[in-house]
Amino acid sequence: MAKGPDVTRAQDDWQKLSSQYWNAWNDATRKAFGVEAGAVEPGKAPWHEGLEQWSRMFDAGSARNVQSETVERLLAGARSYFALLQKLAEQGAGGKADPQAWTAAVRESFNFPGADAALFDNPLARAMRELAGHGAKGFEQMLETVQPAMRETRALLDLPAFGYAREHQEHYQRMAKAWLDYQHETNRYNALIARASRRAFEVFEDKLAERGEPGRQVDSVRGLYDLWVDAAEDAYAEIALSDEFREVYGALVNAQMRVRKHAQLEVEKVSNDLGIPTRTEIDSIGKRVHDLHRDAKDRGEHDADLRDEVAALRAEIEKLKGARPKAPRARKAAAKTTRATRKPAGEEKP
Amino acid sequence: MDPIRIDPKRALDEAMRAQQKLAASFKTLREVEDVDYGATDKEAIYTEDKVVVYRYKGKGRPTAKAPLLICYALVNRPYMVDLQDDRSLVKNLLALGEDVYIIDWGYPDGGDRWLTLDDYINGYIRRCVDAVAKHAGVKKINLLGICQGGAFSLCFTALHQEKLQNLITMVTPVDFHTRDNMLSHWTRGMDVDLFVDTLGNVPADLMNWCYLTLKPVRLNQQKYVAMLDILDDKVELENFLRMEKWIFDSPDQAGEAFRQFIKDFYQGNKLVKGGLEIGGKPVSLKTITIPVLNIFAEQDHLVPPSASRPLGEHVGTKDYTQLAFKGGHIGIYVSGRAQREVPPAIHEWLAKRTK
Repeated sequence: MAKGPDVTRAQDDWQKLSSQYWNAWNDATRKAFGVEAGAVEPGKAPWHEGLEQWSRMFDAGSARNVQSETVERLLAGARSYFALLQKLAEQGAGGKADPQAWTAAVRESFNFPGADAALFDNPLARAMRELAGHGAKGFEQMLETVQPAMRETRALLDLPAFGYAREHQEHYQRMAKAWLDYQHETNRYNALIARASRRAFEVFEDKLAERGEPGRQVDSVRGLYDLWVDAAEDAYAEIALSDEFREVYGALVNAQMRVRKHAQLEVEKVSNDLGIPTRTEIDSIGKRVHDLHRDAKDRGEHDADLRDEVAALRAEIEKLKGARPKAPRARKAAAKTTRATRKPAGEEKP
Repeated sequence: MDPIRIDPKRALDEAMRAQQKLAASFKTLREVEDVDYGATDKEAIYTEDKVVVYRYKGKGRPTAKAPLLICYALVNRPYMVDLQDDRSLVKNLLALGEDVYIIDWGYPDGGDRWLTLDDYINGYIRRCVDAVAKHAGVKKINLLGICQGGAFSLCFTALHQEKLQNLITMVTPVDFHTRDNMLSHWTRGMDVDLFVDTLGNVPADLMNWCYLTLKPVRLNQQKYVAMLDILDDKVELENFLRMEKWIFDSPDQAGEAFRQFIKDFYQGNKLVKGGLEIGGKPVSLKTITIPVLNIFAEQDHLVPPSASRPLGEHVGTKDYTQLAFKGGHIGIYVSGRAQREVPPAIHEWLAKRTK
């Protein structure tokens, strides 16, 4: 489509402003973070260098220890947003009425400097990777440690085991198979996440199209970013609530547990050989202690109930004892009766 | 019409502001204090293993006729209800005259690996309820269960109703099999026996990873982009970090209790389908005849309202009240709206029913 003079002027204005802005940003970055002129690597965006400098400032001193997690998380989130800012600054001049063109600009923004090329076009996978907690990292590290064993036994997976070491061989075969299963399930899971990412761009286009109505237009980069997030979450929810995802998710969790289980068995074998207490032994002891602890509590409560019952009985006895003064009255009454009885008897006397 | 109408100058200003906030953050991030939590003084009135029951100290004497015990979930720390001075359900309840106690489950370790739901519900909760009643000098107390603690409170009430006057559930899952319950959906394909047999106690990091993947972009990116806006504001930054601390300060889950909770609640949906047993005793919501107040959040992504709303259909009480809060799973405790709406609603409901 040919561009009219208004569009061309708008683009010129944008580029002029953009140029001023990048210069200002470069200056600000240098001033704020102490980057020397020319330190920004060619091809790297100033926002990227700014973020890197910003994060490096927390390397020194105690600030890193206190706030490093915050810094890392902010960096992970901010990179996408800053990349979008730059991409729209470069490409977002007027004349793009087509939601597809905006979607392409947003998609392109995920291909920022330093980003994992494998995750370009798959921002959900990036989000997943960025949120990996220590638990997930630990498991990845554990996988690295078992990889040599995997390579060692991969070729032997389908061979029958025999001889003195046959039990060990079968164990390694099962372990390797579990690892292969886990890789297979991981691939299935990643495929669904990639599908959710593709779907996210479609949903984004739909959402953009809805914003074509007067009064609903997106008027800020943050607004556009937030709209993209809404689209990504809607698309992810569609996939994540599907029966297919449920099956794949369950299979992935179960496959990972089987790998962990085999790794534990391996550690137990080594521990046994070295005479070190194993997890199984500790669990066994823990279970017995728990049962004893529970019995003791039950008995304690039972004893308390008994004590209450005894106390109640004692109180009752005391109450009865307290009623003793009635006894003399009873004797008096008895005496009266006797006297009364005697009286007639006396009356019998002449 | 173009769906995007971004004024170039405004966009560039937006980017420059973000850069300036980043620069300012170096100063504020180094100035922020190590965030603490808990706005209200409290005293321990009962301890057992790692469990502690605290009584909160209000400024005046409580005017409520019976104490209110809060039973929080196992999966997070209970100080969410008393996060900071201007975001505290507890503080507001105390100000209204309630006598507030809370169960702190502590951080389970390997020694707690074999704790079952029977231990938690018929054991700890029952003894905590007794301890509160004894401390307050009453025979029956009021119980407020939150999230998973709400599900526990429902079970407890079904089994030990004679110890309670009223039950309040907040953001509590009841029907675990509604279509929008993502967490429940994912657990249905899990081999939970293999899971617990392998992991023992379930690590908190793993649980948090699972929660974050419910909304991966919003919770892992957008939230931190929004953080850019407050990077130059020490107070707001401390509030943000306090919330971060709460989110990730999570206890591990006792293995056996986790196994049973996933099997019977998430997978079996026995709370509404029937067949639930705790410690060999059948649990039926129909046996609950004391007054019940059910509060849920309309934008809750962890416990969708559709999971909480059906409680009224399943309890046996004739005195059932439902309150839908405009907010999320966390906002129901910490948002400004929550401070204004939730404590008075609880207090007024209790005041009409507590003898």
